[in-house]
Amino acid sequence: MILTQEALKLPQINYVALSPMLILFGAATVGVLVEAFAGRGRRYPVQLGLSLVSLVAALVMVVRVAHTRELTAGGAVAVDGPALFLEGTLAVLGIVALLLVAERSLEPGGPFVAVAAVTAGTEADRVQAQRRDAGTEVYPLLLFALGGMMLFVSANDLLTMFVALEVFSLPLYLMCGLARRRRLLSQEAALKYFLLGAFASAFFLFGIAMIYGYAGQINFAAIHEAIQSSTNDRILLYLGLALLAIGLLFKAAAVPFHVWTPDVYQGAPTPVTAFMAACTKVAAFGALLRVIYVAFERTAWDLRLVIGGIAVLTMVVGSVLAVTQTDIKRLLAYSSIANAGYLLVGVLAVGGNGNHDGLASSMFYLVAYGFSVVAAFGVVTLVRDADGEATHLSRWAGLGRRSPLYAGLFTFLLLAFAGIPLTSGFTSKFAVFGAALASGQAWLVVLGAITSVILAFPYLRVVVLVWLSEPGENTPTVSIPGALTSAALAIGALATLLLGIAPQPLLDLSSRAAEFVR
Amino acid sequence: MTSVAILAEAAGRVGTGEAITFWVLTPVALVGAIGMVWARNAVHSALFLVLTMLSLGVFYVLQAGPFIGMVQIIVYTGAIIMLFLFVLMLVGRDASDSLIETLRGQRTAAIVLGVGFAGLICTMLARGLTSMADKGLGAANKDGNVQGIAALLFTRYVFAFEVTSALLITAAVGAMILAHVEKRKEDKVNQPAMMRRRFAPGNYPGPKPGPGVFATSNSVATPARLPDGTPADRSISPILPVRELTAAEAAPKGTEE
Repeated sequence: MILTQEALKLPQINYVALSPMLILFGAATVGVLVEAFAGRGRRYPVQLGLSLVSLVAALVMVVRVAHTRELTAGGAVAVDGPALFLEGTLAVLGIVALLLVAERSLEPGGPFVAVAAVTAGTEADRVQAQRRDAGTEVYPLLLFALGGMMLFVSANDLLTMFVALEVFSLPLYLMCGLARRRRLLSQEAALKYFLLGAFASAFFLFGIAMIYGYAGQINFAAIHEAIQSSTNDRILLYLGLALLAIGLLFKAAAVPFHVWTPDVYQGAPTPVTAFMAACTKVAAFGALLRVIYVAFERTAWDLRLVIGGIAVLTMVVGSVLAVTQTDIKRLLAYSSIANAGYLLVGVLAVGGNGNHDGLASSMFYLVAYGFSVVAAFGVVTLVRDADGEATHLSRWAGLGRRSPLYAGLFTFLLLAFAGIPLTSGFTSKFAVFGAALASGQAWLVVLGAITSVILAFPYLRVVVLVWLSEPGENTPTVSIPGALTSAALAIGALATLLLGIAPQPLLDLSSRAAEFVR
Repeated sequence: MTSVAILAEAAGRVGTGEAITFWVLTPVALVGAIGMVWARNAVHSALFLVLTMLSLGVFYVLQAGPFIGMVQIIVYTGAIIMLFLFVLMLVGRDASDSLIETLRGQRTAAIVLGVGFAGLICTMLARGLTSMADKGLGAANKDGNVQGIAALLFTRYVFAFEVTSALLITAAVGAMILAHVEKRKEDKVNQPAMMRRRFAPGNYPGPKPGPGVFATSNSVATPARLPDGTPADRSISPILPVRELTAAEAAPKGTEE
């Protein structure tokens, strides 16, 4: 029985519409070959150039296919408004994060270890700590992660989504363990993230099996149909949805699936933390929005209470624990958890009857938060002493006297996180809460406002510490950033300011893009 | 006749060849499984697992599942276990795991959970085999099992299938990053450098003296004696403890006349 060409109808693949992620995967593969064949000294410029060019090319292709609305590759990938909007977001935030990753002027060799396989703390490790070069494997890994994220936000069936989840998670686990300083902490973070991430993936996969048991299909449109027409036990549906949500909310760092976040954010090299805080959030929420809007819209009523409860928990736990932190990276990690809560409020504004304000505002929030958080972690990389970054809050006292420019920049970013008007934090929170109010989720908005006030406290504490204390003996210096970090900081801060003053163009763009194809 | 029809007809009947193969390979598979858990050496453990996996592969083929049988052999035994062995070789295969429970009650919990899981699987299997009718199996196997899988792989899931290559590349790169230490050119010692080091001041270029074997005892842990009677440290391996002989041992043993 040989299948003939007629019997097997091969799917049409719209390569142009898929080109953003294909470019990234291709460039990443070339990057791996560069690792194998280019001389050690030549790898850094080649890898950096390759990554930048491919990300810009991906962004250009996203813009060129911006009006595509179709399912391609046999219905496995949806190229629609939200997918393209988030792919563009990922490309831009990826470029900004790449600038931080590639910075080498702050310390010799940059933030990444030269040979990660050398056991930490041994004689060989002390020798390699003196080396002025660094491993460049992080560039192809970054591209693989971004390509996987792009597929993750545009996957149209659960299996493709799962493969994409693994494709972007694996490079992230690896990148977390590549810090040049405090290597044991970094490796511990990588292992923690890997183990917990593997658990979350298993939950996700188990959820897929349950959904398949209920709907007999894993395609989103088919699940959408099955929820109305299937006569199977709905327990399977709810069980599957819950397990699926665990997998997605883990990546989004929502309480109670957040425990990895502070440890991993603290242990990972700071540029990688910035990348995770910005891009992983975009990917996780993009996928969550797609799953809820496209496949499970008809169970939105059942979902509301559960996801609403998680949103409340996330906002409250994130903001309350942020108050108690003494490490700037952990503080930003808890702040990112609380922001996941605000994003969930936007996700919950799923209206059903054509009201896609929730979707548009969530996408706007992802862009605004991404720029601010990359810039904030960029400032964290600048505050250093002889042992590398000085992240303990007590060390930041009086930093405003030492370097008014960067202290001012950081203050501005913290005010944006706190949601002060004229920053992107205000407009994005306003948009999300507005959408939630319009769909009748007033209780969430009230809780969101309360936790925003709680969350403002740790930010203002840092501001007070930085500006109103005298610099002491051991106040670290603020390094003069190289061109790459300067560019990243400038882009992040400008975007935060622009989206606060003139958010309308991006709001329009996101609301025009806010229509899934099914 | 399609394979489905053959399967339907063969349900409940076990051929002689099938029975013989089953009874021969079952103990092998079980020995492999038990050996894998019991073996102290990680490499032996992996090899026992290969045995079990191979037997399972034969079982699948026997059950008219040629595709899954071949996948079992190629993917599990061929790729995964071999990768596992490579990793063991890279990391070093010295078994240094302690047998002390680091988490209290871990062993009990493992036994309870293991038995529970086995019970769960057995009940599920029993229910599946007795009271459940298959659903959609005929439709999925319409053009043959392998062809059905191929059709899905190359149509609906072609993109996921291709993207998996990114995953595999990442995994390979990750293994290299975490396990491979590149030797730098400066670290390599060539022959002239070695000779220079040998004849450098402070190093005795000649061969080291042998241990005191046969002089006073037949143990290599016995140091040789210098002319003044003191033990020569260079004559024994640094990892051996110096063995002090008792008077009785050191006493000359007369040969019988």
